[in-house]
Amino acid sequence: MPPGDLDKALCGLNFPTNPNVLVGLSRADDAGVYKVSDDLALIQTVDFFTPVVDDPYWFGQIAAANALSDVYAMGGEPKTALNLVGFPLKQMDISILRQVIQGGIDKAEEAGVVLLGGHSVEDEELKYGMSVTGFIHPDRILTKQGLNVGDRLVLTKPLGTGIVNTAIKGNLASGEITRKVTAIMAALNNTAATVMRAYPVHACTDITGFGLIGHLAEMMRGTGLGLKIILEKLPIIDVALGFASMGMVPGGTHKNRSFLAPMVDMDEGVEPGMQDILYDPQTSGGLCIAVAPTSADGLVDHLQSEGVEHAAVIGEVVDYPAGIIQVV
Amino acid sequence: MNKIDARGLSCPAPVLETKAAVESRHPRRIEVLLDNEPARQNVVRFLESQGYRTWVDLDGELYTVIGTGGDSAPVPEPVATEPVGAGNKIMVMVAADRMGSGDDVLGAKLMFNFIKTLKEMGDELWRLVFVNSGVKLAIDGAGTVADLKRMEDAGLTILVCGTCLDHFDLLERKQVGQTTNMLDIITAMQLADKVINI
Repeated sequence: MPPGDLDKALCGLNFPTNPNVLVGLSRADDAGVYKVSDDLALIQTVDFFTPVVDDPYWFGQIAAANALSDVYAMGGEPKTALNLVGFPLKQMDISILRQVIQGGIDKAEEAGVVLLGGHSVEDEELKYGMSVTGFIHPDRILTKQGLNVGDRLVLTKPLGTGIVNTAIKGNLASGEITRKVTAIMAALNNTAATVMRAYPVHACTDITGFGLIGHLAEMMRGTGLGLKIILEKLPIIDVALGFASMGMVPGGTHKNRSFLAPMVDMDEGVEPGMQDILYDPQTSGGLCIAVAPTSADGLVDHLQSEGVEHAAVIGEVVDYPAGIIQVV
Repeated sequence: MNKIDARGLSCPAPVLETKAAVESRHPRRIEVLLDNEPARQNVVRFLESQGYRTWVDLDGELYTVIGTGGDSAPVPEPVATEPVGAGNKIMVMVAADRMGSGDDVLGAKLMFNFIKTLKEMGDELWRLVFVNSGVKLAIDGAGTVADLKRMEDAGLTILVCGTCLDHFDLLERKQVGQTTNMLDIITAMQLADKVINI
């Protein structure tokens, strides 16, 4: 759901608390964290969605990578998963579901995660995702909070999947582009999560439905700090800009912009397609990592050498103007 | 009438409907009825990218986007879009390690050439399936493995029949492709737009 609507539903509700809850709903993060002992906490998260690609096997992989990503964004290691399935039995052959789940199994296996089971319901449209549990040391949890002035922001996957997927629906993208964006969405954030453990990382989140700006806004919220994003440093799927300028822009991009634009300071001369990319909802996007300034280049080099080829420093945390994302 | 009523539709449906209408009818003039601002932005951008001049009438909550001049010199699309294979998924099923019958040495040579040349199908080649003695083209020592690997790396899904590998005792020697079963093969046949049997 768009951030504004979700806030309306949740605002003012009293969620039960417990001293073992280290990260909970009162401060919504990528996943919840529950302390089991002094050296072990459980990370729990759930995510599912409707197909983003035509190929059922790849849809399964992407949905799984997306669900696992929240555990990586918290700095943890996913361990177990449960499938969540909504399936239109009357309209689709059951063999399609088999391929979706095969995609999920293969992606879970790649992540070293075991599937323990799942739950399915008959639905009007296909939906697939996972509930994932991971482990982390309670002292090593990374949340969206914790930005320091001067921190550099590192993004690990290129932006524009929402726009390119719209262009694919409009038959504008070649098979090569389709394969490229599919591979980007299906890529696990595990390497990025492993590499960043060796660096002074202060906060982390993954970029998904609220778009880059939406997730940056969540990192900034309540810190009294501001962010500066450098357009030319952003990793972008190269064809996304062209597709956006043709109007291949999903509804979510517009919704994100109408909710988030007041906290963005962007030159009006920035071309509309580029603006769209900043607000574009990402499917299984990359991690956005806030790291101490002297370690930023080292982190990016390390990420790239481990195969996270699009990793880049995209901006920094500033003390003024507070509460504003400047795009320069 | 080149009028599209896209009221009640949310993005990207209005722009996709507009695109379909422009492509099928190439109208000189097109009118699109819309009821939300994001859809207006998308449709205007799309029409302008296709060489139309646009203006918008706003009546209360209702937008009418009018595009004219669409059949003037075609405007190149801003992105390199190859012809799309999206609607055309070709499955090639290879059921022997040789092509045709008559002379086995010739048949093996022809099959080698066939695999080597298959990539010329381009993006439309969607699945390559090996069954029966065809699986021998995907095992170590086969001259076809290098080409198959290149195609797989380029994104082609290659399926190799597990029962067949097992029958020939070649399970351990498969070098390329995913081991598959009859259900997956049948599903692939069902989803493919065209199945070519070799």
